Amino acid sequence: MASLDPRKAGPLAMAPVAALLVVGFLVPLVLVAWLSLMPERTFGLDAGLTLANYATAFEDGYIVPLGWSLFFAAATTAICLLVAWPMAKTLARRGSAFALVVTILVALPIFVSESVRLFGTALFLMPRGGILAGSLNALFGFQVGSILYTKTATLLGLVYVYLPFALFPMILGLSQVPRDQVEAARDLGASRWQVLREVELPNAMPGLLIGGLLVFVLAFGANTEANILGGQSVAVITKSIDQRFSYAQDWPLGSALTILVCAITAAVVFPVLERIDLDRLLRR
Amino acid sequence: MHPTSFENRLRRHAARNPLRDMGLRSAGMTRRALLGSIAAAGALAATGGSRAFAQERPLSLLTWDPYTDPRLVDMWQQETGGQIRSEIHISDPTSVNRLRAGETAVWDFVNLNNPWAREQLWPEQLIRDLPQDRFEPLYAQMKEKFAPPYKWAMSKDSEHLLGVVQRYETFDFVVNSDVISPQLAKDEGWDLFNNPDFAGRYGILAYEDWNVMDICMGAGIHPFKEKTAADLETFGETAMRWCTNAKLVTTDFVQLNLAILNGDIDLYFTGGTYTTSSARMEGLSNLHAVTPARGPADGKGGINWIELNSAVNNPDPHPRILDYLEWITTPDAAWIVSHGNGNLQPVSQMSQPELFSRYTAEELDALQWDEFDERIANAVEFDIVPQYDALYDLYTKAMRARS
Repeated sequence: MASLDPRKAGPLAMAPVAALLVVGFLVPLVLVAWLSLMPERTFGLDAGLTLANYATAFEDGYIVPLGWSLFFAAATTAICLLVAWPMAKTLARRGSAFALVVTILVALPIFVSESVRLFGTALFLMPRGGILAGSLNALFGFQVGSILYTKTATLLGLVYVYLPFALFPMILGLSQVPRDQVEAARDLGASRWQVLREVELPNAMPGLLIGGLLVFVLAFGANTEANILGGQSVAVITKSIDQRFSYAQDWPLGSALTILVCAITAAVVFPVLERIDLDRLLRR
Repeated sequence: MHPTSFENRLRRHAARNPLRDMGLRSAGMTRRALLGSIAAAGALAATGGSRAFAQERPLSLLTWDPYTDPRLVDMWQQETGGQIRSEIHISDPTSVNRLRAGETAVWDFVNLNNPWAREQLWPEQLIRDLPQDRFEPLYAQMKEKFAPPYKWAMSKDSEHLLGVVQRYETFDFVVNSDVISPQLAKDEGWDLFNNPDFAGRYGILAYEDWNVMDICMGAGIHPFKEKTAADLETFGETAMRWCTNAKLVTTDFVQLNLAILNGDIDLYFTGGTYTTSSARMEGLSNLHAVTPARGPADGKGGINWIELNSAVNNPDPHPRILDYLEWITTPDAAWIVSHGNGNLQPVSQMSQPELFSRYTAEELDALQWDEFDERIANAVEFDIVPQYDALYDLYTKAMRARS
């Protein structure tokens, strides 16, 4: 049997996934981009090109939800990276039963629906009859308020849901830090801060960046946390997009907002991806 | 209240939230049944029986949630052997647009609020008319309000019957009766939300087309009449104030009911029997649906929706669609519709003693049945909102400004 030309094997193996991406991702994206250039509240694709929807997006208050989504995404990413770093360092260093238990505890909530977890958190945070406030009152006589239906609750929900997405790539990144380099740096008199800055961060950077990107992109497109925990105390951009596509039946403006979100995401993701050496991370 | 019993109530309450089931589903379709249907369809297609195939396809419902209740689907399946598949609306106008976009070939049954059939679906030939000799007697068994020819069930020329009325109620706002007396709420009406004392003390159930109508009422504008430029300005100002002052905005009425029970808010709009009845059945009778005693809509302040069940003008009509439209008005089926997905809701067939006698005193109390006729009398019938797009844009602008 004639063997397959190795130069053709790669493209052939890629073909099914490439076809899926073209049909399931590229074509809808092109359609959405085209629809964003149609006049407002039209459904056809041949109604004449216009940039009016983009003008509306900038002039009609959509910058506010866009700004809130960006703020929540940036804040969630920063908090998740800060919280995940010491955990990841411990877990990367201690490949023991302890690490396994902690990993399972962190990973387990991912298997429960996000909405269910957030409703659980809402019940926990509710004032008076809520689990936290009710228990503190019943057990210790403390009367506490609640952050439920505030921006803080939205941020808490985002950090809670997306922390694992920062943690696991970070563990992978930290496992790339050569132990002997750290020890050599210490032997040569480096302070903890110098070890962190000169040895650990550069070596763990690919994992750190991947975790940060995952959290940023997911949090930028999140709506449920602002809805369930935040009580829509602020509108996020995905909510505005949903409104334009559903109740407003204004697909062109919804499409324009979608393209803006995609453009901002791309502007953040691509420069960061350029700095990641995946070959090194995957030890190829 | 004891914490454990309270928590149990919340859980039962949450479990009944019909919003949990929103979205696409094929009700009553097991894997075995599906495989069986596919095999049968294949065999029929092989024998060339296109008519026979049409008889085997599921009856397709584009509907609000009670018609997807598994008990109703199972009962239909047991009595007729027919399958049902269904999808729950996002909103009335969205579903009208879907039918316009060609989905008449997908659906057999559509269940929308009253104005759409007469004003848009029938003129655009998206639904079929019903044989009056078969269906008009059903109207004779309903409340006097629906005596034939009932306006919303007829075409504008009064020649064609467009559907069968079933669920109906007023949908305005809900108060905590321990904090605001229902009589005061009726008398004050929508001005409660204009009162600065209640800023930060109310929630909004984001059923957004309803919110637009409510804000019209609060702004002193008839929601179903043409608006002037001054009306639009007043609406925009009221929307901005109401949205900014709301403590909580959500699409989940269970969350709003919980917020009332926890003392986080004292009232919310939009709401009615639909949002309170299951909680009231659990004993939470301080959740009280209110229809204002007066307002700017021809002197009325409430809005009365009436759902009309119609046959979609499917190019391949389902042979059992008329049977289904009649069957859902029978006492057994109407009782399930009235209790659909755990939510208690009045139906027009409740004037039949055989059906009415099945309701317990607790259920009638949950429906606030003693004041139901008064609420209907104080409400204007739901209609299409002129300049809805302009109003909705002002409303969403106000929502975006919440920060």
